[in-house]
Amino acid sequence: MKGLNNKFLEVDLNHEKFSEVPIPEKILEDYIGGRGLGVKLLSEKLPANIDPLDPKNLLIFSTGPYGGTIVPTNGRFSLVTKSPLTNGIFYSNSGGTFGVFMKKCGYDGILVGGALKEPAYIIIEGGKEPIIKEASNLWGLNTEDTLNQLKEIEGKKINALIIGPAGENLVKIASIMNDATRAFGRGGVGAVMGSKNLKAIVVKGGSIKVDVHNPILLKKYVKVAQDKIKVVPITRSSLPIFGTSALVNVINILGMFPINNFQKGFDERATLVSGEEINKKLTQEREGCYACPIRCGRLTKAGNMNGKGPEYESVWALGPNLGIYDLITVSQANYLCNQYGIDTISCGVSISCGMELQEKGLLNDPSLKFGNTSSLKKIVEKIANKEGIGVHIGEGSRLFANKYHSEETAMHVKGLELPAYDPRGTIGQALGYATSNRGGCHLTGYMASLEIFAAPKKIDRFTTAGKPDLLVLKQNQKAIEDSLVICTFAGWALGLDYYARFLKAITGINYDVMKLLEIGERIYNLEKIFNVREGLGKKDDTLPPRFLNKPLQDGASKGHVVPLETMLEQYYYIRGWDEKGIPTSELLEKLNIRLNF
Amino acid sequence: MIIEESIYKLFKKVGKHLVRQGYNTSHSGNISIRSGGKIIIKRRSAMLGDLELEDLVVCDLKEEDSSSLIASTELGVHRALYLETDAMAVIHAHNPYCVALSLIEDEITCIDAEGFALYKKIPIIDVEIPAGAYYTSIEVPKVLKNYPFVIVRGHGIFAKGMTLDDALQNVTGAEQSAKIRYLTLLTGKPLLRDFSKEKDFSQW
Repeated sequence: MKGLNNKFLEVDLNHEKFSEVPIPEKILEDYIGGRGLGVKLLSEKLPANIDPLDPKNLLIFSTGPYGGTIVPTNGRFSLVTKSPLTNGIFYSNSGGTFGVFMKKCGYDGILVGGALKEPAYIIIEGGKEPIIKEASNLWGLNTEDTLNQLKEIEGKKINALIIGPAGENLVKIASIMNDATRAFGRGGVGAVMGSKNLKAIVVKGGSIKVDVHNPILLKKYVKVAQDKIKVVPITRSSLPIFGTSALVNVINILGMFPINNFQKGFDERATLVSGEEINKKLTQEREGCYACPIRCGRLTKAGNMNGKGPEYESVWALGPNLGIYDLITVSQANYLCNQYGIDTISCGVSISCGMELQEKGLLNDPSLKFGNTSSLKKIVEKIANKEGIGVHIGEGSRLFANKYHSEETAMHVKGLELPAYDPRGTIGQALGYATSNRGGCHLTGYMASLEIFAAPKKIDRFTTAGKPDLLVLKQNQKAIEDSLVICTFAGWALGLDYYARFLKAITGINYDVMKLLEIGERIYNLEKIFNVREGLGKKDDTLPPRFLNKPLQDGASKGHVVPLETMLEQYYYIRGWDEKGIPTSELLEKLNIRLNF
Repeated sequence: MIIEESIYKLFKKVGKHLVRQGYNTSHSGNISIRSGGKIIIKRRSAMLGDLELEDLVVCDLKEEDSSSLIASTELGVHRALYLETDAMAVIHAHNPYCVALSLIEDEITCIDAEGFALYKKIPIIDVEIPAGAYYTSIEVPKVLKNYPFVIVRGHGIFAKGMTLDDALQNVTGAEQSAKIRYLTLLTGKPLLRDFSKEKDFSQW
């Protein structure tokens, strides 16, 4: 297919062997790339019920047909694996430039299986055979130091996926850092890489250009898209000026900014950690991914530390979620998470779980107290190094709370910690959390875009009418975006009508919006079937009990709970799933999903 | 399926707006949404500008059911749009400027700033028998796979949206662009700047 190299690099770490694997045209047409392709490959190649930290588990990194073209925000790429946190399928998405340069080296993706006997890293260099190099001197280093060392060894012009001590220590909330400042953050993917003794994957020196079917037409479409990105307020100013932390004040005013482990939805002190405050006090310069006109990232300095972010979710998870409103403490904890290679959301929510356990008298650790700024960095360190209470927090909130017989204290779905929108204030998003194939994630079906940000138009955030229908559409759309691969934020200005045109110009294949949505539906159902195979079911399509029966006591979302059961029943019906939430054989046949498990 | 109060209010608001704007006569036009795996659509011959709760009819999404006895005449087009496009809401109206221009042009190029930012152009199609659902249900979805609306020549507009408000904006936006184009054409003078040519909308 045009727009792709049509081949993956398969890495067998057991035998330290590389092979080029061609991807059949039909699979590319049906799954496109990125998340879709990763899901297809994982479901075909991974046997059932494999422990996610077993060497047999796979890490599948992949770009899509947009990568390296002139399509705006094409720098993102995808990772698919089985998560040690959820025991289900996991798709993740990261920005920067690694994905584009992997493609320039001639590979649409890298499929990593097996495990090394000793720590090592992989070098993929354009025009050369990939190699594995030992990394005993890098093992134990944080992600920033590792990147610096790799630059000394391999040259400055490299991109690297790196795990920190958390990944090495198989912490279940460990991330894979991308050039030390971006991340495949969620789902414990860093632990999967750690279980393979793989410290880093480095790309350099690629120069292959993307073969575009109709570059003149693509240029015309892209020009129109760029004009749109320039005039839509969110992409024109909100994100560029304030970054994602622009959300803090907005969500707090709506009374759905989770405070103290989702016990409250509003706190006037939240403004102390807002995007405006970050801009004033921390921001050094703006920064963006490859081919991105939005540039939502920012390099910051907090006290004697510097780094990137914090992003909205990180500000919240490590700040007001813990009762902490000191911007320096929050930012430094965020930097530390990046250095140790820890997911900031799961880290914050697992710590807040501990703080609530402490508050309930179920745990005795004075460092775990809402509002305690002095011990936060130490706790992050303990998680990464698997020391003391950090051993249990690093297992994720579900196992942590279970240990103290208080599962209701864990704010998770399917084991993945929830992000920074209290579902009681955004009912469609609540259903999105419950039905997300990767667990507690807002991006899988971002209903808040309609319920909060009125994109394309506002809908009532507290009613259920039409929400399951809209959610199915949003989930299918997102599966496509993650497969093309394009940034979610481009969606504030563009949409599938643009994306279909770009894809048609790149590949020469007659894609339209409906064809893309069918592919999205196919991907979503294949993920679901994968999860069913791994033992996940209707019991997992739920929310922590407080969202179902305990209304918020104050703020603009006061008095509401999530009427999940009614929406879930409708959602299954609309999806064409049976009453247990399992895709029917007729549906799978219609979507051309052939099961080999 | 019980129709929630919030849905009724939405239909009432949008229906009233369409009639007040002069896009529909007292009993013409129809609006619908996709909800709960069903279609909720205006009842046939109900007054769009003054809808009652019982003027909303719940219909099967996938195939004809007995609701077609009372549902809008254009139910077949709405259903086809839900089945064949990403529509979550549909509006059919008889916008006068859109209809007028459809009788003299093959597509309406948006020459106003808002129109070209949002839409670029408004496609027009010929349908053998323009009023009634049968022929339009075949032709309209083909266009709405890639555009937010289409004008059936001499008849009216079909617009989709993610919500009913979204579809309404597409209907009113199309009419605004058509009106500006119509008024500009009336002057008989050349455009000092034609954005549509700069962006080459013919290929959109």
